[in-house]
This record gives sequence, C-alpha cells and structure tokens, in this order.
Amino acid sequence: MRGSDLERLYDEHAQSLYAFLLNLTRDEADTRDLLQDVFVKLARQPELLAGVRDERAFLVRLAHNAAIDLMRRRGTRDKTREQFAAEISSPFATAGDPDEQTFRAALAEALAGLPPEQRAVVHLKLWGEWTFEQIADALDIPLNTAASRYRYGLDKLRERLRPLYEEMKKAE
Amino acid sequence: MMNDGMDQFERRLSRQPVRQIPAGWREEILAAARNAAGANPAARVPSPSFLSTLNRQLSTILWPHPAAWAGLTAIWILILAVDFSIRDRSSVVTEKSVPPTPEVVAELRQQQRMLAELIGPRDTREADRSKTFVPQPRSEREDFVAA
Repeated sequence: MRGSDLERLYDEHAQSLYAFLLNLTRDEADTRDLLQDVFVKLARQPELLAGVRDERAFLVRLAHNAAIDLMRRRGTRDKTREQFAAEISSPFATAGDPDEQTFRAALAEALAGLPPEQRAVVHLKLWGEWTFEQIADALDIPLNTAASRYRYGLDKLRERLRPLYEEMKKAE
Repeated sequence: MMNDGMDQFERRLSRQPVRQIPAGWREEILAAARNAAGANPAARVPSPSFLSTLNRQLSTILWPHPAAWAGLTAIWILILAVDFSIRDRSSVVTEKSVPPTPEVVAELRQQQRMLAELIGPRDTREADRSKTFVPQPRSEREDFVAA
C-alpha cells in the first residue's frame, strides 16, 4: 500500500476508530497499540481493502476484533482494571461547565459498566450515528442482536443516569 | 411520553463530544505502518536479480558508445578465431613433419639389443637349474634308511 493511501485512511477514519477503541478499552496506551495494529495490518496486507464497499465499517470490524482479542488475552485482570480506568481514560472531551462535566464523568462510568459487546453497539449507534444494519455488518452479528444489545445497554445507562439526568432537565 | 423521554435521553447522550485523537499519534502510527510494510517481503518491491543488475551496470558503462564497444568485441572474436585456427593447423603439421630419423632408429635398436643381452643369460641359468633337479624315488630313500 502506498504511503498516501495510508495517510488518507488515517485522516478519514482514525478519529472514529480512536473514540471507539477508547470506549472499549478505557486505556489510552491500549487504544494506541490497537490503532497502530490496524494500520500496520493494512500496510502489510493492502489486499484486505480490495472490494470493500464501506471502509469505515471494515476498519471498525478490524479494530473491534483486535480489541476483543486483547480483552480475552487479559481475561479477568482486565475487569478489575476497567473499574479504575473509567476515571483515567474517559472517552469524552472535558467540558467547561461543571454540571456537564459531572454528567460526562457519570456517563463514562456507566458505559464502563456495560459488557463490551453492548458498549460497542451503543457507541456506534450514539457517537458513530450508524444504523443497526451497519452495526450488524461491521460487528458481524445479526441485525436483531445489534438492536437488542443497544436496547439493553441503553436501558442500563438510563437507569444509572436517570437521577442526574432528571436533575439537569429540571435545571434547564 | 416514555418514548419522547428516551429519544431526548439518547439525543442528550449523542451530543456528548468524544475525545480528539492526540495529534502526535499520526506520524508515529503511519511511520510504524510504513516500516512494517517495508519489512514485509510481500509488500516490498522485488529486488533486482544478479543478471538484471549486471545488465544495468554494463549498460551504464557501454551506453556512451555502444557501436564502438560492439565493434571492439567483434574484432576480439575475430582475433581469437584466427588464433585458434592457426594453432590447430600448426599442431597437425608438427605431428606429420617428425618421422623417426635413421639415427633414432639405430639408437632404439642398440637399446633393444642391450636389453636382450642383459635379460638373456639370467633366463638360461634358471632353465639349467631346473633341469639339474632330479627327485629321488621314494623306495630308494627307504632302502637308505634301512641300511
């Protein structure tokens, strides 16, 4: 693969992959390693992209598989680590408004409590603005599974964030 | 009402901006990817073979005056061909033009004669010795022992 093709892929998709991977791993160093793995793989095997219709969906699939492999390798050690990592590597930007920052921190923590498969779907639906068809295609799961994972994940977030959310709504 | 609330909740969540990727990662990750592609034999441009390298080097040397080099090569080939043909003919001539001279023939005969003289008497002595050996009959030997 030519250097210019790699640069274009990076410029077009790295930000989305970064946010997705950071939400999955909750660790900036892991996110960087996984992102690098994805681009190294593309550089070594440029034929992987031949015939791909949706580049981003394909790259998300590569990134998701790499992240799942990493989590499986680490096993239970990662679960303990995740509980603290939510405070360290929030997937959200820092807000200037204290109330908004409190909500983002609570949201990051609630997301960290979701199983990775639900978190992946919730992230792609809410922050990737993908359809369930796209998510199902990228994660290689049935459409109904994608929709149900989203629904379950969202219900858990709503349950955890409801008090804070209602309070903020009243204040507005 | 519940659906409206959920939609608002979802919209609220989706409005939270995600973190930006660190700017410094771009060069590092792309450099790592380029290096990996360079280290991979499949992604690398195949290295030229010995023959193609030799051809390129010779072309570089000969390119200024290819006709002159070709002419020089032809002259050398002609010289070598003439040299080989002369060498072959001279060896044949040498083989044909050296018959044995009478002196050499006489010398060879003299040597043969001397050799025959040296070998002849020894053969005669050995022949005589074999003739003088007469084994005694077994019965005579018994008589001698009895006497």
